[in-house]
Amino acid sequence: MKISLNWLNDYIDLSGTTIAEISDKLTSAGLEIEEIIDQRKIFNNIVVGYVKEKQMHPNADKLTLCKVSDGQNVFNVICGAPNVDTGQKIPFAKIGATIPENNFKIAKVKIRGEVSEGMICSERELGISDNHDGIMVLSERAEVGKNLSDELGLNDVILDINVTPNRSDALSHIGVARDLSAIFNKQLKIPEIKFTESDNNINKLASVEILNYIDCPRYFAKVVTDVRINESPEWLKKKLLNVGLRPINNIVDITNFVLYETGQPLHAFDLDLLANKKIIVRNEKEKVKFTTLDDKEREITSTDLMICDGKCSVAVAGVMGGKNSEVTINTKNILIESAYFNPSAIRKTSKRLGLSTDASYRFERGVDPSIAPYAANRAAQLMRELTGGTIAKDSIDIYPKKIIPRKVSLRFNRITRILGFEIPKESIQQILKNLQFNIFKNVNSQIEVEVPTFRPDIEREIDLIEEVARIYGYDKIPPVNKISITLEERVYQNTFDDKLRDIMVSLGFFEIVSNSLQKEETANKFGTAINVLNPKSYEMASVRTSLIPGMLITIKKNLNVQEKNLRFFEIGQIFNRIKDGKLIDFSDFIEESKLLIGITGKAVESEWYEKDRQFDFYDLKESVEQTLEFFFTNIKCIEKFYKDGNDLFEYYFEKEFNGKKIGIGGKIKKEILDYFDITQDVYVFDFNLDILKQIELPIKKYQELLKYPKVIRDFAIIIDKKTDNSDVMKFILKNSLNVLKNIKLFDIFESESLGKDVKSLAFQLEFWNSEKTLTEEEVDKYFWDMIEKTKNKFNAKLRGE
Amino acid sequence: MLEEIKKTLNEFNAEIKKVNSSAELENVRIKYLGRRGVLSQLFDDFKKITSNDKPIIGKTLNQAKIEITGKFNQLQEMILSNSNSTDSYIDLSLPGRKSFVGSKHIITQTLDEVRAIFKGLGFSIYEGPELESDYNNFGALNFPDDHPARDMQDTFFVSEKFLLRTHTSPVQIRVMQEKKPPLRAIMPGKVYRNESLSAKSYCLFHQVEGLLVDTDVTFAELKGTLVSFAQQLYGKDVKYRFRASFFPFTEPSAEVDIWWQQQGKEGRWLEILGCGMVDPNVLMNVGIDPEKYVGYAFGMGVERMALLKYGIDDIRLLFDNDLRFLKQFISV
Repeated sequence: MKISLNWLNDYIDLSGTTIAEISDKLTSAGLEIEEIIDQRKIFNNIVVGYVKEKQMHPNADKLTLCKVSDGQNVFNVICGAPNVDTGQKIPFAKIGATIPENNFKIAKVKIRGEVSEGMICSERELGISDNHDGIMVLSERAEVGKNLSDELGLNDVILDINVTPNRSDALSHIGVARDLSAIFNKQLKIPEIKFTESDNNINKLASVEILNYIDCPRYFAKVVTDVRINESPEWLKKKLLNVGLRPINNIVDITNFVLYETGQPLHAFDLDLLANKKIIVRNEKEKVKFTTLDDKEREITSTDLMICDGKCSVAVAGVMGGKNSEVTINTKNILIESAYFNPSAIRKTSKRLGLSTDASYRFERGVDPSIAPYAANRAAQLMRELTGGTIAKDSIDIYPKKIIPRKVSLRFNRITRILGFEIPKESIQQILKNLQFNIFKNVNSQIEVEVPTFRPDIEREIDLIEEVARIYGYDKIPPVNKISITLEERVYQNTFDDKLRDIMVSLGFFEIVSNSLQKEETANKFGTAINVLNPKSYEMASVRTSLIPGMLITIKKNLNVQEKNLRFFEIGQIFNRIKDGKLIDFSDFIEESKLLIGITGKAVESEWYEKDRQFDFYDLKESVEQTLEFFFTNIKCIEKFYKDGNDLFEYYFEKEFNGKKIGIGGKIKKEILDYFDITQDVYVFDFNLDILKQIELPIKKYQELLKYPKVIRDFAIIIDKKTDNSDVMKFILKNSLNVLKNIKLFDIFESESLGKDVKSLAFQLEFWNSEKTLTEEEVDKYFWDMIEKTKNKFNAKLRGE
Repeated sequence: MLEEIKKTLNEFNAEIKKVNSSAELENVRIKYLGRRGVLSQLFDDFKKITSNDKPIIGKTLNQAKIEITGKFNQLQEMILSNSNSTDSYIDLSLPGRKSFVGSKHIITQTLDEVRAIFKGLGFSIYEGPELESDYNNFGALNFPDDHPARDMQDTFFVSEKFLLRTHTSPVQIRVMQEKKPPLRAIMPGKVYRNESLSAKSYCLFHQVEGLLVDTDVTFAELKGTLVSFAQQLYGKDVKYRFRASFFPFTEPSAEVDIWWQQQGKEGRWLEILGCGMVDPNVLMNVGIDPEKYVGYAFGMGVERMALLKYGIDDIRLLFDNDLRFLKQFISV
């Protein structure tokens, strides 16, 4: 919200304080200044110039060559505007100036062979209005050479304040001035209202009826007759322009002025357009079409509170007026509406219509129900002064259930307990008084406070403590340099995911973090998608059902930039729907923790000592094996192999522990790769972390180191090509005595010389006995016996036999 | 014949011990494995045997052949590799053999830094789900229904009752529901905001929130803790300010800015975290007596810190996972 410093000065004397001080203190007290716009600085080096001569540019049809004086020197300036002419006084941006519209810096340039030493500006280029039809022509009385900000009276400082949703009271100049008065302990000046009323009583001119008291607790109205619609005076237009409002006519401008002064939204109806001169606050019985002031036809439902006349709706209450009762150039008599609407009702309508206005913004945050008369009277007073209108006698005030100020007590020692710092009692009371809280009872240890109705956010003691602390200044509360810690039985620090990350990094993988939102189609390809009700784009319409799409998208992006050899991992959550329909319970969907590893491209690149090699299934398997090994030394998982694949994998394998699936992975199918436009093989493995986390890790125990020598035997068999290695190994282990401790496949060899459809598998066996030395003879006995059995079982030959 | 086989083995074993060159090795090969070598001779002899112990002799002979062949191959390999290294030129300037190096994402690295600091202060780590109930994300945290405070966080709803959490504060609720005070925990995790993707904003980011509930907690202690945090992360001379702010779940609430000055650029205040004393309504919602216990809470965005630290000007780079980017942050 934009606040003008000049305007603020109407309510508080800020002389003696710098802009920086005001800005810092307001920010510190919770009214964060996001931007300070100093108009004098904006127009640096932009002055009133005088066009002495104008010629056509010799090399361009649409450009003119002007000689512009700044009162001291004459400059060559090239101008493209059609309306520039000799004798005009114009805004002249000299070399060194910055054009407010686009931050363009003016320098000496050559345009089509001619030198230009500055620029003549349009209103839009100066940031004054949207007008860009031609250059801005200044008054003939303007003083050549004078700084433009002084000439236009744009010498204000505008504070752009980020007002948090709890501070509806600060959405006006008086509101901000009130905080400043507490911060600087200065007097707040509220303009006094004095006017004379005609003998014509308002009750003869208009009537008001509320049918929905819940959504409209108060409706205050004032009537001004015989107004003359016109442009507003300069001072009023400038005030509105400075806070970013467009002047419309004197009546509308006055309502906007009062809104920005007091925070109370007003609406001015053309009284003569109201059927039966009557206002009824009610809901429509059924859906109706209604055209708002912005010329848009909107659908109104029975939940929207409407302002109606004797016949139909004339305004969407608290949001926007209707076209049918708009103040026009012909308007004579005005009904000023100054109401208090239920915040949540206004919010619902504003949200539903997608229409947020200055009025709805304030009503949904809660305006002051007590200020309605003041605001209406203030507007009436200004209408009388500026439009020549006559104020009808009395006012209409329908307010059956008065909202009374809350009473809250505040214990001094509670402030100290919460803050850890003692604020003097006098300061506490002064702050609350300056914020217009009424301290009506004061005993030694606590005070009783009446909360003004403009502070709907203050309900409890803690709210008062915050008020005191923020005005006193958080920076005055010293940070402690010693904290006490309650000792706990256990501090949970390293998470499972942390350990996993360390493992993956040690295996040479790069961690990725991909978007959890994706296309609905993609999400449904990998699971049962949960859709976002309000997505920003169709690319992010669903929550991910698997980490695989994110991995493949990441791989594709890298392939696009010639990064082709990739080993990635991601740890994250995936989400799948369990039940159709609306999610109403945690059991309707499942959120799971996953670790996905993905490899593609070359496992090894060509080096002087080594040939390059592509990643394959066995690289994937080893990474999976190693990952599990780090965690579960000595825990054996069951492996299941699926050569024929499934929808996702060309072939894959699963790891199981105690009947629970730990993970699944393999070579991604070509159809899937095509979907992601990937043209090289990709292998992934998907770990189910929720299952892994449940496995109770055995406590690692030291194992005595072997004291006796191992006996090592190698052998190779020639066997049918289609025999699985694991079957041979399993058989060997099963048919050996317990001194065979280790078996390793160390070579696979196929060749014509071995025969057709056969292969050679070479194994190394390790034998030892932890109790005594094993002799070669003992081993040989087992060894040859086992070889014979193996040969028979698999119909194999011993190689070299 | 068994005797002969044993003798041959013994002789072979003795002879290969003396072998030093490939010439000597070749002699051994010819003698034992050659076409007219000792083994070949023995096999010829074996064929002529007719006695009952022929199977045993055959088995022994086979074993002998395997042993001799194996040992010979082993020795040959050794001699070959030795001769290679003595004869060839050693180029010490060749690059070393490569090993794989991976890295944690810089979001994780930054998060780790934050966690390390709070670990040092005795905070435990808790995590919670990302798809949360509206109640845990808003209601329990003192966001009234239909209140503009809800607009502070653009929310991805998946149904009327469920949403992608907009902050990790629901984990605070879960922790407080499960455990009795005293509580001292930080809650890192992914959170979501329904914003368009741009250099400045992404639809998700990581947050670390902290919560402490005990009998004698104060705002001054919150300040002390966070000042210590800022000093550890940004240096002991860091210039900071606490300014009043608003969050429905804390009161008084504050935001903390640090003064950020880059070389050659104008300094400015930069918001690094939000914090405050846990609102009594939140404590009551989880059954903790706010007269007996006081708490404080804080929260910060991890991406923002990473961008700041590494001078990255586009948040989307963090989620593109370009290997050229990831490789810049290999660290241990």
